[in-house]
Amino acid sequence: MKKALVIKKKICLIGSFAVGKTSLIEQFVYNRFDESYLTTIGVKISQKILPPTEDHQSGRTIQHTFLIWDIAGLEKFDHMTLNYFRGAAGALAVADLTRQDTIEELHKYCDKFLTVNSSANLVIIGNKIDIFHEDQQIISELSKVAEHFSTDFLLTSAKSGERVEHAFLMLSKKIGNSS
Amino acid sequence: MNEYLKRLLEAKQLGMISFGRDWAIDEIDQSAKTILASVDQSLSDRRLLAIFPELIGSESYVGEILDEKKSDLKLDYINRTDLNGDLKFLNLIILPGDRPNFGLLVLEDVTEQALALQQINQQKYELFLYQHNSEFRRHFLSDSILGDSLAIRDLRETIQKVSRIPTTTVLLMGETGSGKNLAARVIHYSSMPDDAPFVEINCAALPEHLLESELFGYEKGAFTHAVAQRQGLLEEAQGGTIFLDEIGELPINMQAKLLHVLETKKFRRLGSNQTIHVQSRIISATNRDLQQEVNRKKFREDLFYRLNVVSVSLPPLREMGEDIITIATHLLKIFNIEFKKTVSGFSDNAKQAMLSYSWPGNVRELSNCLERAMIFIEKDRIDARDLTFFQAPSPQTAPAYQDWTVPSNGIVLEEVERQLIISALKLARNNKSKAARLLGLTRDTLRYRLEKHQLE
Repeated sequence: MKKALVIKKKICLIGSFAVGKTSLIEQFVYNRFDESYLTTIGVKISQKILPPTEDHQSGRTIQHTFLIWDIAGLEKFDHMTLNYFRGAAGALAVADLTRQDTIEELHKYCDKFLTVNSSANLVIIGNKIDIFHEDQQIISELSKVAEHFSTDFLLTSAKSGERVEHAFLMLSKKIGNSS
Repeated sequence: MNEYLKRLLEAKQLGMISFGRDWAIDEIDQSAKTILASVDQSLSDRRLLAIFPELIGSESYVGEILDEKKSDLKLDYINRTDLNGDLKFLNLIILPGDRPNFGLLVLEDVTEQALALQQINQQKYELFLYQHNSEFRRHFLSDSILGDSLAIRDLRETIQKVSRIPTTTVLLMGETGSGKNLAARVIHYSSMPDDAPFVEINCAALPEHLLESELFGYEKGAFTHAVAQRQGLLEEAQGGTIFLDEIGELPINMQAKLLHVLETKKFRRLGSNQTIHVQSRIISATNRDLQQEVNRKKFREDLFYRLNVVSVSLPPLREMGEDIITIATHLLKIFNIEFKKTVSGFSDNAKQAMLSYSWPGNVRELSNCLERAMIFIEKDRIDARDLTFFQAPSPQTAPAYQDWTVPSNGIVLEEVERQLIISALKLARNNKSKAARLLGLTRDTLRYRLEKHQLE
């Protein structure tokens, strides 16, 4: 039996402050959620080994390991902050469904991210679905952002865990397909 | 490495790691070792990428730095956890080395600076979210109800749910000083727009005729002293909340009038024919058992049911166990600021005294008790002697121990302790906070003894 091919990928969580980037990682990596809000400073790395997948062409089992970069919501992008993005295979660009401004800000984050990693993959995330009162305008805005960056969007709840794993796996699949 | 550079880095407490193109560590100075030891970073793997996975993805860029095609790579505020589980922050910069194919990583512990920045950002972002996000405001305000007991967690959850429906009438029930006013404000501010009014009236504080004119307002000439038209509180509260405190004291005639307002959502100013629509949430509060008042015909049954759409019970302080200490600590912080003092906390016997006391005046009494202590205190910690209680301490704190004697055939002290703990748990119906108070112990000490006697 062939040994599984281990692939380490750097992925980033980007988006405005308090949209739930840290909580999404906490939920995905450690299955936990903390109600209190503590702003992130700088960058924190977590690691998660994803379920193995089979490569249809080679028949080989591939084991993806995500190095997940939790990057503080940035107010300005300078050369140093762009270093955080360097070498990433993909990003979850996160907005808070209860704050429209965070959806508008996604353009800025995704543009900067793609400037550094032009071939990287994106998935747009609308987080906090647990407290979101269905608003078609918000969904439409999020869909427009996803369309603009030729990708998909997903609604998640870091609190309940709803579709959190799905979001990371969707990004993993996109990365797998493009590599 | 250049000796002057080494001395400079050492003087600035910057760590230095020299590494080769294959990422193997060539040299590491004492400052770097100290910084890495403080964040529990093992140096058994001598490859830089194992120590700093933050560099994964930047391999080719670092290669260009080693070739001197790029000047440097900076990564600020990378997060680490120290041996105590506290956050530490490091800044990294990679520069070309002083030899071909070697690089230099300069490392700085910037925890102090990062924590200060975190504090500033936290306040800035919380303020922004408070002003712009009603969900955050709701959550933030519910946190102002302190404590972690089951009763308080239930209360917080109920208030959060009630806050989501800004039209529901709420009845707050609890002893005097248990925080009904705070609960009313939390419900209001977390459910209404920023500019919505919160209008409060104490039904026990005004005689009946004044209460009526205060609530409904009046037209000029409606009664002898009505020299000008005046809006009532119901009108002032339009679009917001009217808080009727001590509703149990409302005279029976006024109860009928208030019932009419609640049923029709309309009222008239005294002396006016014009109907005004009420568009505000009504929150009422009482320290009486309103159901009992209904049975005694002191309170209208129909009004009781109108007000009691959602009832919220606020627990008395004596039933809040260790939360008493949480609230006391919060009050201490406030009084430290107010009185410009730096009292750091409570001695164990002060904590025990607070946990043993019955607090008939609830949080208000606790606040007054601490305020008195803070006025006179001139030392670092509040002791039991600094606290003045208005009622005698609970009977369980002063039993006649002198009557207890050891029987002639002796006892097994451990077994006596075990039996007393079992008895206290029975008496407290398994509520560990109450049992701890009955035994004159803190909850933590009781927990320890439960483990010791395998009673968990």
